[in-house]
Amino acid sequence: MALVTDALEIRYGARCAVHPTSLTLEPSGFVALVGPNGAGKSSLLKALAGLASHTGTITWQGRALGTLASRERARTIGYLAQASTVHWPLNARDVVTLGRLAHGRYGVAPTAADREAVEWALAQTATAGLADRSVSALSVGERARVLLARALAVRAPVLLVDEPIAMLDPFHQLEVMGVLSRYARGAAGGAPALVVAVLHDLTLAARFCGRVLLMSEGRVVEDGTPATTLSADSVRRHYHVEPFVTQHESEPVVVPWRSLADGVQRARD
Amino acid sequence: MSATLSTGRHWRLCAALGVLVLAAAALSLLLGRSSGGPTIGFGGPELGAVILREIRLPRTLLALLVGGTLGLCGAALQGLLRNPLAEPGLLGASSGAALGAVLVFYFGLAGGDSLLLPLGAVAGSLLSLALLYALAGKSSDLLTVVLAGIAINAFTAALTSLVLNFAPSPYAALEILFWMLGSLADRSLVHVWLALPLMIPGWLLVIAAARGLDALTLGEETAASLGFDPRRTQWLVVTGTALAVGGAVAVTGVVGFVGLVVPHLLRPWVGHHPSRLLLPSFLGGALLATLADSTIRLMPPGPELKLGVVTALLGAPFFLRLVISSRNAAAN
Repeated sequence: MALVTDALEIRYGARCAVHPTSLTLEPSGFVALVGPNGAGKSSLLKALAGLASHTGTITWQGRALGTLASRERARTIGYLAQASTVHWPLNARDVVTLGRLAHGRYGVAPTAADREAVEWALAQTATAGLADRSVSALSVGERARVLLARALAVRAPVLLVDEPIAMLDPFHQLEVMGVLSRYARGAAGGAPALVVAVLHDLTLAARFCGRVLLMSEGRVVEDGTPATTLSADSVRRHYHVEPFVTQHESEPVVVPWRSLADGVQRARD
Repeated sequence: MSATLSTGRHWRLCAALGVLVLAAAALSLLLGRSSGGPTIGFGGPELGAVILREIRLPRTLLALLVGGTLGLCGAALQGLLRNPLAEPGLLGASSGAALGAVLVFYFGLAGGDSLLLPLGAVAGSLLSLALLYALAGKSSDLLTVVLAGIAINAFTAALTSLVLNFAPSPYAALEILFWMLGSLADRSLVHVWLALPLMIPGWLLVIAAARGLDALTLGEETAASLGFDPRRTQWLVVTGTALAVGGAVAVTGVVGFVGLVVPHLLRPWVGHHPSRLLLPSFLGGALLATLADSTIRLMPPGPELKLGVVTALLGAPFFLRLVISSRNAAAN
């Protein structure tokens, strides 16, 4: 009853993006996937979504991901790509409705359930006011929220999102983290779900996520509660920055403060 | 609510286009052309039945089928490549068909009622499709397929020029050139039966890709995450287009611009939705080709204009307008 990887390995030619990784992700919860650039976070997320060729196995509720029909996999695992594009200037509601393709039968107009899911996703991301506007006329941040609504509209029990807040202002960063957290708890109107998000904001990861996976050089090097994974020592070692770690309103604050000399050296190499 | 609204609008658009297509087809059936210029009606009941069955009906049917094919395939290819400049000839099926036909001409086999000409064209289009898959491989990405199509286009065009170069007589060369301009004149129902077995499977393959084209709006990765393998969508559209367009070129020669212009014109009417564009583009293509072919018959006496010439004459100014409006949009 979980998303399990066993000796999952991803190679791009000779380069190994993700070294053999065995993970168990419980069927509900908000998990942050953090780590420096090039650590293999997006590759791992794509593999979990069934979109990257790999060795080793991934199973969902005991069934290998590769044995699921593509449409069933699509209904089970929602995926939001990093900085995704919309190639035609559809209006925002039509874009969100594309998320329902995972459920659709050919040639059938949207059902009541489809429409309900679309309106729900628009409301969750506060994009209902943008619904009738062309996505080409939206700001980058507005478009990012519409695309998140598209991923939410799948209403999958597993939701994998790659940098969902990278383009957003502080207000909407907090809002979107709240949406993902509620979706994981099942507090957004639905069953509890597994949400895995690639994040670069360590404070938001520590505050909103119950479990943090830290990747470095293709390996999950830390895995646990935010307090242990994002400790000052861990951030220093893996990110090569001196962090400012404190608490505010009894919640963790992790702010990268100064780049460390060993990191500068590595960046040059 | 809005989703049903736009679905309703979609069917109203299709119905309106359908009525226009029927009207254009009726006009096309009524219009004739003699050495003295355009004629209207059929001239007597018995002669009329023969004219209708042997001359007008095949011509009108072919205009509808060929125009519809070009519109549908243009819309599907633009959706697949997510590029409004894609057109059915892009993948080399048209030029392959043209080469097949030209070779039949060259060997002097095209005389009289010979079906060797369209059969040669069909063989040419199927060969170019086989070559496309041999070059691009089944699993490769879109860019490779397009590059392979361009290579096939260039190669078959070169071979066509070579054949023209070695044409046995200037008259033969002229005949080949005229055929390549595209025309619906002097076709019979046999041509319809010849084209349909390629067109119908082609249409079905393209239509089966409709939802996959919608999913591709969000990029290949997201399409795959929604359960639509982009490679399958690509296979459906590429194969379907090659079959249907190959069949169309085989019976009419190369008719340009319809597959480029029609989807472009209709796209804003369907909210830029790739799947909702397919049926209107089929109808719009059928309408445009039928009207263009009727216009030809309304021209004053003299050598008959070729359909490909008329569609290009109509299409080019439209394209200029497009350039100007996109330039203005960029300036704003």
